[in-house]
Amino acid sequence: MTPTESAERALRRGGVLMAVGLVLVAGVYVRALAFTPEEATQGLAQKIFYIHAPSAWVALYLAYGIVGIFSVLYLFLRDPRLDLLASSSAEVGTVFATVVLVTGPIWGKTVWGAWWTWDARLTSTLFLYFIYLAYLVLRSAVEEPGRRARYSAVLGILGALLVPFIHMTVYLFRTLHPMPVVLQPGRPRVPGPMLVTILYSFVAFTVFYFGLLARRYAWARLAAARAQGEAEGGADATH
Amino acid sequence: MRSVLGQAWAIAAKDLLLEFRSRTAFLSALVFTALVLAIFNFARDPTAVSATDLAPSVLWITFSFAGVLGLNRAFSLEKENRTIDGLLLSPASRTALYAGKTLANLVFVGAVEAVGLPLFALFFNVPLLDVLGPLLLVIALATVGFVAVGTLMSSMAVNTRFGEMMLLVLVLPFLVTPVSTAAEMTAKLFAHRPFAEWAPWLKLLGAYDITFVVLCTLVFEFTLEE
Amino acid sequence: MPPTNGGYMVAAYVAAAVIYLSYSVWLYWRSRGR
Repeated sequence: MTPTESAERALRRGGVLMAVGLVLVAGVYVRALAFTPEEATQGLAQKIFYIHAPSAWVALYLAYGIVGIFSVLYLFLRDPRLDLLASSSAEVGTVFATVVLVTGPIWGKTVWGAWWTWDARLTSTLFLYFIYLAYLVLRSAVEEPGRRARYSAVLGILGALLVPFIHMTVYLFRTLHPMPVVLQPGRPRVPGPMLVTILYSFVAFTVFYFGLLARRYAWARLAAARAQGEAEGGADATH
Repeated sequence: MRSVLGQAWAIAAKDLLLEFRSRTAFLSALVFTALVLAIFNFARDPTAVSATDLAPSVLWITFSFAGVLGLNRAFSLEKENRTIDGLLLSPASRTALYAGKTLANLVFVGAVEAVGLPLFALFFNVPLLDVLGPLLLVIALATVGFVAVGTLMSSMAVNTRFGEMMLLVLVLPFLVTPVSTAAEMTAKLFAHRPFAEWAPWLKLLGAYDITFVVLCTLVFEFTLEE
Repeated sequence: MPPTNGGYMVAAYVAAAVIYLSYSVWLYWRSRGR
């Protein structure tokens, strides 16, 4: 099987996983809105949690973790597919981070009375978002694939190590820096049906992430395989 | 053969000599610093916001931007004249190259800060002298933090389409920890708070510096052509 | 008596759906290629 055919196969399988993910996420919507009880003190807006929290898990840890790991692997092994996987994860991660930064302040407005209060998780996500954007802009600014992969990997690794420092910086500010007193949502006591919804939503969004990743990665491989094919075909055509 | 440090110093000395001869980057950074400080001073309402409240943030915004201005120099000079090939062919190791560039940048940014700090004290009327020692430590640590990462990033940015814009985009997320911890410590110092109150920030900045100096030294070679 | 903030909930759910769906659709169509 040529690289192109293999990538086309992967593309179709990615499409299937994406569809499965979308259906599962649709299920989260149904379950959260229709079959989960309203939280006693926060009202309906608390349900934003079922979209916001799993998206944050994917954006902050899963997607970026994969960017970091595959960046390191690329620098050691130099397989271009590793770079394609890392960059696909960065793109998909950025989408999830966008959702976190949109749903977060909306939810925050209802609990804190303000759109933004430098909350620990949202602030960390904001700075991670800058890293994601830097990564994507960097890729668009370098033409040559080898250099692009190397530079992306360097940024990917540095970014991965930056994340814990951002967490710690934000944590220090939250605990040691005088802050206005704001309502803390606190850890809600979680009755059974809500727990099921939470767990299900984490699973659903994780599957959805892998579906998007699979499709995005397959597309990247296909584009690379075709570019390779054209380069070789072009060389033959001169005979 | 000469040690890594010797090579690094040679590279730094070359850069600094070139900079000293033309002085353009240094002067631009200085003018920029003075401008920002003056604007902040004019823009605030002295009855509403006291100078000491605003001062730490102003200082650090000024130093960060002036620092980024200076960082571009390191590799753009090489790019223009393709002298990077000469450096790579020389016996100097990649590590020495990184150390040399970083050292030159540190001296450069340090010089801008050395002029900027008294200007700042002048415009903002803050009690610098009683906390000068700790303040210099904070400035030194924060500068090392952002110059180490900035030098690495400029090595990549110089080879991209967007050049200086790219450097800013790349470096910005990495400024969060050094600049915000430094600003916080500066605020505490101006308010004469006890060491125990700002010690946690110092530890975080120290940990950041160690982590990123080591990391940047390790990955620097991947930013060079093979 | 919990606060009435259903409007915010709807806004957030719709916004998230728009973002995720737009990206999914864009990704699917663009990757179909030739």
